[in-house]
Amino acid sequence: MAKIIVVTSGKGGVGKTTTSASFAVGLARRGYKTAVIDFDIGLRNLDLIMGCERRVVYDFVNVIRGEANINQALIRDKHHKELFVLPASQTRDKDALTQEGVAVVLEELGKTFDYIVCDSPAGIERGAQLAMYFADHAIVVTNPEVSSVRDSDRMLGLLSSKTKRSEEGREKITEHLLLTRYCPKRVMNGDMLSLADVNEILAIPLLGVIPESQAVLRASNSGTPVIVDQESDAGQAYSDAVSRFLGEELPHRFIEEKAHWFKRMFRFKDKETV
Amino acid sequence: MTVSTLITDRQQCFQLKTNFLPCTVLQLLRYDLEALEQQIKASISRAPMFFTGSPVVIDVEKMQSSGEVLDFSKIKAILVANGMVPIGIRSSNQEQASAAGLPLLNLAKTSTLEKTKKTEQELPALTTKVVSTPIRSGMQIYAKEGDLVIVAQVSSGAELMADGHIHVYGALRGRALAGVRGNTEARIFCQTLEAELVSIAGYYLTKEEMQKLPQQEGVIQIYLQNEQIKIECV
Repeated sequence: MAKIIVVTSGKGGVGKTTTSASFAVGLARRGYKTAVIDFDIGLRNLDLIMGCERRVVYDFVNVIRGEANINQALIRDKHHKELFVLPASQTRDKDALTQEGVAVVLEELGKTFDYIVCDSPAGIERGAQLAMYFADHAIVVTNPEVSSVRDSDRMLGLLSSKTKRSEEGREKITEHLLLTRYCPKRVMNGDMLSLADVNEILAIPLLGVIPESQAVLRASNSGTPVIVDQESDAGQAYSDAVSRFLGEELPHRFIEEKAHWFKRMFRFKDKETV
Repeated sequence: MTVSTLITDRQQCFQLKTNFLPCTVLQLLRYDLEALEQQIKASISRAPMFFTGSPVVIDVEKMQSSGEVLDFSKIKAILVANGMVPIGIRSSNQEQASAAGLPLLNLAKTSTLEKTKKTEQELPALTTKVVSTPIRSGMQIYAKEGDLVIVAQVSSGAELMADGHIHVYGALRGRALAGVRGNTEARIFCQTLEAELVSIAGYYLTKEEMQKLPQQEGVIQIYLQNEQIKIECV
């Protein structure tokens, strides 16, 4: 049975789709058969980030309504043969999703896949609730900014009460915090919440910190998930996060401002004296 | 929905509010109209500003019952003639009151006594609700007829409510409302106070108001004293 991962945040524009795409690629690159589903019905984006927008024939809603079978709707990624995308419908709205329909699709995928990544829409309405309802893991994507942190907190509340696991009284969803668009320099200047601030409020295990990076926008526009760009800091950070998700222990990177070379020397000296 | 509420807000021409106004109670000890008028005149001469135009409730509860029929219209006339405004009667005898054409205002003593008796009886039935998972933004926890104990953090945007006390062992960043059904003895206990709002029996302090108070370190208790919320270290 596949593990179901929901990527959620409450707030829009914090990097859910970027994270879903990179995470799915990361899992596929490690050999896991992975499907990534766009739950944002009516605002289809994942196909663009994954670079498969020109191959969309059937979508998630078609499968739910029985107008296509799951294999017709799944799009195989060109670069990773273990990776499949199930795009959202651009012409319907979120009411086209039903709990029974989603359950059937996930069950069908669960037979052959290792991981199913559900890319949640923003907000706390039907689409977001259905994306999280069947999940085993939740990646809560948060920006170091007060409104994003509050919305993530709200999502954590829903994850602990409005999901299948909570309703059945089973072991609760495993929660992971992914802090995105982090800029250590702005944290130092006091413009941005620090990792410690966010951790104190949300108090869930940290999966990774993705630095603010030019590479993300470039990757989105070119339709290659940023994790593929291993030259970039964001790409490396996503790789680390996937490794941590799979149980590896890695130190957190990109959380401190890169010190100037002579400052680094002084720090080295300080360490010696201590 | 919001638009229609806005319109009705603008259109409404009154609001209903409960209010407590000071008012003079004239406790009649015996029925003697002449003595009444004399005493009133004497009182007024001592403090003319105090009595002119002041609302008066005529109370005959303390009168020794002699069985005679009181003529309230005459008492009323004396008060009016001396510049007072009779607004009601307090009497156990309903007929007396209705004869005078004034409303009956028997509210105070008996009802409050009953109320306190009632709360005393309810106390043994109190139950305590204990929650040990984080209370996230948007969650609402209500301990009906009892105390609420939270052994985790309470995020901003979350709301705790209890008919009794509230205890929080973890950061309190949301709202905490103790004694929501009017128990003025209810208290809130917490270790760090970063709450958005604290309330006891409907009296409340917002975060802005709390920040103006001297900051407290250590275990904090919040309680009601003389209709004012007190925050202090234990």
